[in-house]
This record gives sequence, structure tokens and C-alpha cells, in this order.
Amino acid sequence: MYQDPCSASAAYARHQEQMSSLVELRGISRTYGPIIAVEPTDLDIKEGEFVAILGPSGCGKTTLLRMIGGFISPSSGVIKLDGQDMTRVGPEARPTNMVFQGYGLFPHMTVAQNVGYGLRLAGIAAEERARRVQDALRLVHLDDFGGRRIDELSGGQRQRIALVRALVMRPKVLLLDEPLAALDLKLRRAMQDEFRRIHAVTGGTFVFVTHDQEEAMSLATRICVMERGRIVQDGTPREIYLQPRTRFVSRFIGEANLFHGRRQSGHVHLDNGLSFAHEGDDGEVDCVVRPENMVIASTSDTSPSKRYDMNITAKLVDMTFMGPNVQYKLITGNGEDAMVETSNEDRKSSIETGANVMLWWNSAVQRIVTE
Amino acid sequence: MPQTLIWNSGMVLLVAFMLSPLLMLIVFCFSESPLLSFPIQGWSLKWFANAYYRPGFFPAFINSLIVTACVGAISTVVGTLAAMAICRLPARISGSLMALLALPLMAPPLLLGVALLTYYATWLNVPLGLHTVVASHIVFTQPLVILVIAARMASFDFAAIESARDLGASPLRAFFEITLPLIRPSIVGGALIAMALSLDDFLVTFFTIGGSNTLPTFMWGMLRKGVDPSINVVAGLIMTLSIGATLLGFRLTGYRG
Amino acid sequence: MNWEAFRAGAIARIAPSLVIFASLFLLPISYFFVISFWRVRSYQLRTDLTLDQYREVFQNFAYPLAYTLAVAFAIAAVTTLLAFAYAYYCRFKTWRFGITLVFLALLTLFGGYLTKIYMWKTILGSAGLLNSALLQLELISEPLTVLLYNVGAVIITLVHYTLPLAILPIYGSLRGVDDVPLEAARDLGASRSRVFFDIILPQCRLGILSAFSLSFIFAAGDYVTPLMVGGTSTSMIGLLIEAQFGARLNSPLGSALSFSVITSCALIILLVAAVLHVLVRPRD
Repeated sequence: MYQDPCSASAAYARHQEQMSSLVELRGISRTYGPIIAVEPTDLDIKEGEFVAILGPSGCGKTTLLRMIGGFISPSSGVIKLDGQDMTRVGPEARPTNMVFQGYGLFPHMTVAQNVGYGLRLAGIAAEERARRVQDALRLVHLDDFGGRRIDELSGGQRQRIALVRALVMRPKVLLLDEPLAALDLKLRRAMQDEFRRIHAVTGGTFVFVTHDQEEAMSLATRICVMERGRIVQDGTPREIYLQPRTRFVSRFIGEANLFHGRRQSGHVHLDNGLSFAHEGDDGEVDCVVRPENMVIASTSDTSPSKRYDMNITAKLVDMTFMGPNVQYKLITGNGEDAMVETSNEDRKSSIETGANVMLWWNSAVQRIVTE
Repeated sequence: MPQTLIWNSGMVLLVAFMLSPLLMLIVFCFSESPLLSFPIQGWSLKWFANAYYRPGFFPAFINSLIVTACVGAISTVVGTLAAMAICRLPARISGSLMALLALPLMAPPLLLGVALLTYYATWLNVPLGLHTVVASHIVFTQPLVILVIAARMASFDFAAIESARDLGASPLRAFFEITLPLIRPSIVGGALIAMALSLDDFLVTFFTIGGSNTLPTFMWGMLRKGVDPSINVVAGLIMTLSIGATLLGFRLTGYRG
Repeated sequence: MNWEAFRAGAIARIAPSLVIFASLFLLPISYFFVISFWRVRSYQLRTDLTLDQYREVFQNFAYPLAYTLAVAFAIAAVTTLLAFAYAYYCRFKTWRFGITLVFLALLTLFGGYLTKIYMWKTILGSAGLLNSALLQLELISEPLTVLLYNVGAVIITLVHYTLPLAILPIYGSLRGVDDVPLEAARDLGASRSRVFFDIILPQCRLGILSAFSLSFIFAAGDYVTPLMVGGTSTSMIGLLIEAQFGARLNSPLGSALSFSVITSCALIILLVAAVLHVLVRPRD
């Protein structure tokens, strides 16, 4: 969705368009009776990209992925894979392979039979098949597991078998549906490294669906944020975090303070009293500031540093020691919630809960969102 | 979609095939004509009176009630005790133990009947009667009770019993105040299904009852004598009781396939 | 509660069941088996060990035995096929109604063994439902008599009786088939029929085998059905077994016949299991 021609994501998109697209979605939508799961959506994915489709549950991200894979036929629109129209082609005939949520391993087959199943269907000769299965297992360090039964594997091992079962087909696009959702935190971190490594080794095109913004940030080269059936922002993890386009994106990816206000003839007036020049249409706006971009100072202090040019008053409500960071919960002078996160070195031991403080930030890091 | 149509119509036929004999029986119970044929000429309740006043019907009915009640009671107590022990054994042992105890369910009833007849009459030399019928029925009803209750116990939260013990209940008290109320529907359901199986049984009863009758053997006697529409009423009674008990049983056990 | 005490308790609880099982199933069946090696002389059971009864079975009852097994095999095959279609429909082709349909089938499991046979006699009889329907539709001008008193009637009746028995284990195994692997197979290039043969069928092999075994054993051991709807030409072994306990009072021969049927059934089931194992298995 490139509605805003001036935004950085649009520039990114123009740059990307110069390369040919591997996946082209044009006006793809899906409805279930009166319910719209995916609104008409355009999306282009280039070769070698690692794309995350990120959104809360029920936002249509899995539906979108399953339409690319051929498991759901779109209500409207065209799906092209590698230049060929695949809109009405079944999953078995598409150059895509999927790593399913819950893995979908065949419980009655051994690990090697699982991994070799697609190759056998493709008519690959037995020796070639065995070699490719073995290579695939080596890729995920499960060389000796070929003869194991599926129920003898741990969750992480199952995950890796599901991954190579799809990878061994050398798909043009690898689709991953919440691939790490069933794993515990530590295993998830390890598997994220594994995915990055495999993406680098195989050089393939990966599209994965997740509701975990941290996972999307750490894995993807590009993130499409979905909300209520629409892609609301599409860009690099950096862009998505630093330049959120909507209130939803700013809140969904990382923590954000939203200060409400109005814009009138090129000036923004926030409810907390701040006002500054900002071009744009008149109407309601929010000023987004990340908690780590703000500092706390006592009311008597002047600006703690020259670069901080914005300040508001607030009352400290709660303070939580998080290990590396300290999190402060505050209420601004006009009654809005605010949060500040600082490194534990910068902790102001002099400030007690209940005290009135000043919040400072640099106007360069703030974003004005209207949607 | 033609494929869906083929599936649906095929399955409608199959359901009709399964249900039609039972539905027809109900219709014939109320048909006036002594001939079992269509179309139905008129409706009447006379076959009910006819069956009721038929010599031997009432004793057979009472016998059936006695056998069913005894089989239900004994197999439920024995089966519940066994199920409670089995479900706390390691899965491998409990699985093979249940398969072993379920063997009588798989044996052909004819074989079971003649084997038990030979056993009672030739080896033990006990007179045949309702007691031998009850004993014989328990063999194949107890595995059913065990299966139903063990299925419930599989999802049983044993921590509940342990908390009761922790709060000061004796083992017996914990059983009556925690375990029993929780598994009661399954026990009653298992008992009802066991009773339905016992009530419906013909072959084993036939060989082990000696001179008297239960409803199925009484019906068999009528069948051997020739066509008489009051057979329908007796058959209908057996069907109503056994299906009724089963329906109630499944409802109580929360059967979901 | 410590483990030792618990184990003692478990044994005490399970004991009544095991006693019933041993004294009313194991012992009678074993005794019955032993009897097959005895003989009857002038209406008295003689406990001399002999293989006469089995010789008798092979000499005079080989044909009915083979005939019974063939008919029972046909019944079991038809039943398993229909039961599979029904269970498959309930699992994959219906939305939410599946469980109701299974429940319906389960209910017909009860409702009277004699009643069902008797009703099929009525349906297939010359004044029965089928004939009246055909007459009414003017497809035939006089009642068909070929419907009843032949092996066809036995097959129809026993398929009807064993069908719900066969649906349950197959539905049970189909319910254990997860949906995601089916999609994964499609994704890896399998057509719908390949998904069925490669993924669904191998996973319900045990259910199919139990369904087949249950209906096969029941059909081979039944005697009321051939007696009531089979006519004189359908000489199934159940009739002959029953005769040894009724009119002839030759329990050793009855026992030998019973164990011959059971053993043959077991062998055939093993064969079917082996064939299923070879035909329906994942390949490397």
C-alpha cells in the first residue's frame, strides 16, 4: 500500500520496483459472507527478501499467506508467482512451499520419509532423493534423525524438520505460518538465529506470518504490518519502528507515547500545551515519542542536554526496575499516560514516586500521525 | 457440485438402510392389519393388548428386568473399581489390560454362549437359570463399563483428590466427596449402556437360561411359531428400552464420538 | 500414598474384574477347547484325547466352513467399505453434522439383534416393503421371491447388523487424522487422491482392520441370520455348531467346529492385516 507518495516507504517501494517481482499480488481480497478477512491488497515481493507479515490475531495475515500458498482462493484479484498467473492454481502446482503452524508433519512416516515425500511426488529418483534428504537434514544438524519417528522428536526438532521438508523442494517462495509460535522463548531465540542462517545459506525468498513484533524485527528484511485486513505500513524494520505511519503501527511495534492534539494551518497544538510548526491537513493528530527517547528531570532543572527541545510536566506514578532498563510510568499535566525507559545508569535516584517531574525529548525523534 | 451431490445422496441411502428396519418396526406396532405389508390399512393398539395377555410375556418381562438390574449393578461396581485402578497404571500396562478384559466383547456371541453352556452344564454341573444368565452377561458388560469410566478418568484431575487429602479428608472420604461426584455421570452412563447390552442379548441368554425366558428368548419362541404381529410389540419394547437406556447413557457420559 | 501401598490397592480394586474374566471367560473357553479333543459315546462325554473331531471337521465340514468364511469375508468387505465411506463422510464431508451422524449409527447398534433379522425377513419377504414398493411402481407384476431365503438376504442382514460396529473404529481413527498434514501434503505436490492414499489411509489402517475383524468374526459365527433369512441352501457353520448343542448333543464336535472357525478367522485376519500393511504404508 503506497498511498503516501512522500513517505520513505514509498521511496523504498520505488527502489524495489526496479527489480522484477517474484510474488505479485494485485487487488487480492478475501471475504467470508459479510466478513472481510482481507481487503483488496497489492503486494510485491522480490527475490531474496525475508518478508514478515505482522499483525494481531484476526488481522487477515494468515489468510493472505494462505492465498499465496494456494490454500484459499481469493475473492478478487490476481496472484502472480514468477510472472505466471497462479490465481486459480492449487497448492500442489505452485512453486511455493509452506511451513505450517503446528508443523503438519506426517505422523505415520519417519523423518526421512517426511522430508522426502514431496521429492517422491515430484518423481525424483531414489538415490538423488536420499542425497537431497540427507543434505537437508545436515542443514539443520539432524543428520542422524532420518529413521526416527515423528513422535520421538522434540518441539524444536519437529520445527526444523517441517522447515527442511519445505526447503528440500527448493521453493521459489518459502511461506512460514507462525513458525515459532509453539516454542518456548529460549528455543524461539535459537530458531530465529537458525532461520537467519538458513535464509543466508539458501538465498531463498521467505515470507512469514507472525504476531510477534520482536520476531518480525529480528528476522525480516521487510515488514508488512496488517490491521483489519489491510496492510497499513510496508517497509524495513527500521522504518517501521522509527517512522510509524499510524497510531496502530506505533503502538503495535514497540512501546509508544501518544500525545493528542490538533493541527491547524501548519501548526500542531498538543493538548499538553506544546505547539510547533508541522505541515499537513488540518485535523486531529497524535505526536508519537518512543519511551527510550525521553528523559526525566526534576522540575527545577533546565534542559538536561542541548538536544532536548521539547518538555512537558508530568507526575511519576510507578517505577519498575527491569534489569538493563528502568521503566517509569507517568501521568502528564493534562492527564495522558506516558512511559519513559532509561538505562539503569541514568536512574534518577532522587526522584520518588508521586513527584512532579519534567519530560524532555528532541523534536527530531517525534512523529506526527493522523490515522 | 456433482461430487457433493453423489456423496450426500449416497449417505442418505446409507442412513435409510441403517434406520429403515427400526422405523418400520415402530410403524407395524400400530398397524391394524395382521399382515406386515404396505400400505398400512388402518391404525390400532390391539397388538399391545395382545402381547400383554399372551401367556409367558409377563414372566419374561420380569426376568428381563431382574437380569438387567443385576447385570447393571454388578458390572458397574466391579467395572468402576477396575477402571479406577487401571487409569493410574502406566499407559502400556493399562492398555494391554483393557484389551485383555475387552476380549469377551470381540468373541462371537454364539461361541461364548455354547462355551458357557458347556462350562455350566458339563463341568460345574450348576442348574441353568437367571443366575447363570447374569454371570454370563457380566463377562461382556464389565469391559464396556471399564472403557467408559476409564475414558472419563483419563481427563480426571487427580490433584483434586490430593488437595482433598491435603485438606484433611481420609481416602474413603475423598472418594465419596470428590471422586464419585465427578465421575458419577460416567458411572451411570456406563451402567445404562451395560444394561442395554444385557437386555438386548439373545444368543448368550438362549444357551445359558435353561427353561425360563427373557424378552429376547420369548420373542424367539414367538418367531419360531409363526407370524404374529404381537411380536412387533415385544420387539418394539426391547428396542425402546435398549435405545432409551443407550441415549440416556450417552447423554450422561457426554459422548462425542 | 506411597507406591507400594498404592499398588496393593490397585490390585485389590482390579481383582474382582480379573476373577470374573478368568472364571467366566478364560476357564470356559479353555475348557471348551479341551472338549474338542474328547468324544461322545452313547450320549456320554468321554475324556479320551483324540483328534477325531478335527478329522470330522475336515472330512465332512470343509465345504460349509469354506462357504461360511467366503460369505463372512464378503460381508466384512462390504461392511468395511460402507463403514469407511460413512465415517469418511462424517469426518471430512460434513460440517458439524458429522458427530450427529456417527451418533445415529451408534444408536442402531442397539435396538435388537433378533428384531433386525426379523425386520429384514419382513422387508425382503413376498409381501414386504421392497416388493410392495416395486409392485406399486409397476416395475414388477408379481412379488419377487428371490429376495429372501438365500445368501443375498444373509449378506444384507449381516451387513446391516455389523455396519454400526464397523463405523466406530474407523471414525475413531479418522478423527485422529490431523488436518494440517493433509494441507502440507497438498503443498508438497500431492493431488487430492494422493493425499487420501498417502496420508489419510495409512493412518486409519488399524481402524479399518478392527472394523473388518469385528464384522468378519461376527458374520462367521452367527447362526440366527442364516436360520431365519438364509433358507435351506445357506449352510453356514453357525447352524451346524448350534445343532451339536441342540438336537445332536455332540459338544466335542461343536467345539471343534467353533475353534476351526475361530482359527480360520484369525488366520484370514492376519492375512488381511499383512496385505493392508504391504499395500498401505509410507514409502521411502
